[in-house]
Amino acid sequence: MIGGCVVSSGRSNSDETMTTGAQAPKPRALVIRRHHPLVRISHWLTIPLLLGLILSGISIYWASPIYQHDPNPTTGSFDYFADAGIWICAHIPWLHQYADPANWVYNHASLGSYMLAFALRFHWFCAYLFMLNGLVYLAGLGIGGGWRSLLPRLSDARGVLQVARYYLTVPHATLARRQQIHPSFRTKYNPLQRLAYFAVAVAGFLTVATGWAIHKPAQLSWLTAIFGGFDQARLWHFWLMVFFMVFVIPHVALVVADGWDTLQSMITGWSTKFKRSDVSDHEP
Amino acid sequence: MSLKQNEAELRSPVRSALRKKFAGAFSERPIEPIEVEPSILRRWTRRDLLLFGAGALATFAVGGSQLPREVWQRLGLAQSGATGPENKWLLNKALRLDDDVSAALYSKHHLVPTYSKSQITPLKNNYNGATPDPAYIPAWRLTLEGLSSGLAVSLDIRALLAHQIRDQITRLVCVEGWSAIAWWSGLRFADLLHAYPPVSHAKWALIESSVNLDANGNPDPYFVSIDLLTAQHPQTLLATHLNGKPLTVEHGAPARLLVPMKLGLKNIKAITRITYTKDEPPDYWAKRGYSHYDGI
Repeated sequence: MIGGCVVSSGRSNSDETMTTGAQAPKPRALVIRRHHPLVRISHWLTIPLLLGLILSGISIYWASPIYQHDPNPTTGSFDYFADAGIWICAHIPWLHQYADPANWVYNHASLGSYMLAFALRFHWFCAYLFMLNGLVYLAGLGIGGGWRSLLPRLSDARGVLQVARYYLTVPHATLARRQQIHPSFRTKYNPLQRLAYFAVAVAGFLTVATGWAIHKPAQLSWLTAIFGGFDQARLWHFWLMVFFMVFVIPHVALVVADGWDTLQSMITGWSTKFKRSDVSDHEP
Repeated sequence: MSLKQNEAELRSPVRSALRKKFAGAFSERPIEPIEVEPSILRRWTRRDLLLFGAGALATFAVGGSQLPREVWQRLGLAQSGATGPENKWLLNKALRLDDDVSAALYSKHHLVPTYSKSQITPLKNNYNGATPDPAYIPAWRLTLEGLSSGLAVSLDIRALLAHQIRDQITRLVCVEGWSAIAWWSGLRFADLLHAYPPVSHAKWALIESSVNLDANGNPDPYFVSIDLLTAQHPQTLLATHLNGKPLTVEHGAPARLLVPMKLGLKNIKAITRITYTKDEPPDYWAKRGYSHYDGI
């Protein structure tokens, strides 16, 4: 697990051997500090907080869906999520007897239907912690200096396309048993990662801003106006949620594909994954 | 060599060094590997993995304790049929904090946005239960209590209309998420407070409607609490007209509260009594788990 980069300290071993006799040099692990503790804490807290916000958020959405159509003459439904629930219960044999098909989606993808008061309280609870967690994250980035690795640069554009092309073509190449080489970069994150992680941080900020715009459209009317008014701010808030959901899929898939070192570096902070050439270049 | 040339020569290397320093502040630092004894590294790893596990368990314990019984029942992890009040301490704290934030944000100098007549949207009858029988309207009176005079005052609609009537096109925002822009007319609550001043220590108004019904048509009096600061806001009206016409029974004839600084549920229809109090009065929806303050 930690053997990836075990090397001898490499400094004047021969001299030591001369003076201390036959003592072998102690093996040393060479690691890099990858994530500041505050970044790691806030990273993991984001999972339960986002989960709570999304589940309670869909319960709140249930009370007044933003995407509506004219009532269906047979079902009376005007909500696409209710339509989906009715369809699912009609087509899946063991769900034919489901008591409340129109709320099937809400009862399975949210805290539940008919619990607006509770969902609102739960949403505020998670939202205040989410904002606090965002500040912890920013503090960790600032103290640990990790923010420099996250800032996208204009010169990243080519690299973003290179990495995106690699991921788009790698499934086919693997099936065709053709070896595909991951473009290599000398930075902590590749340009696509940098863009993605930066976008998530921006989306977090926008989610908080649109949340306040919906929550206080009178007191913070200037903020609501920035997002194009109350109804538009609700749309923004909804689609930012979808963005987080979409981000999680490749994020988790690629961490799993990358292996244990990458995953544990977000828990323990250190990693043995780095190129020796990156090190030697910077030695005086 | 002139002095000017000398300066220019001196400045340019300084400037380029500054530029380099500035650009360097944003560029990534070279990685600095550290040498650690494997046994120490193993200890670190064990410690952090244990902390991670403990943190995850604690998070799910705290989060799970705040979920309602109904969610656990749906997941098959709690017995169905168990009922009774549930006290979610952390959630109540969060709601109180949010109300305090809302109250801190309030300023009577901050006006809510107003709209033009072309922006008016349909407004549905959102009586929580059944719509009352309009038979109450002819005999309707508004009772004021908790006045500095120590007397109760009973007003009819003409007494209200004797005040200056203001027009305003504002947005009514429902706690459910929908909203409607409507053209309201009525007297300012502040004018009523001026004409019939409350007792000096009053901080709240309990506003009641005795004509409200539940979904089955049985009496279900509605009541909201309003802090007097919000009541004094220039856009807080006792509305008597919608779209230039007297209120219909669906919209709270003959007078309702219009408080665009608060959620729609505070905009109580068909007001029959206003009582000024020192302590916070009860509120219909706060009793049902919603916020007390409902500022937006």
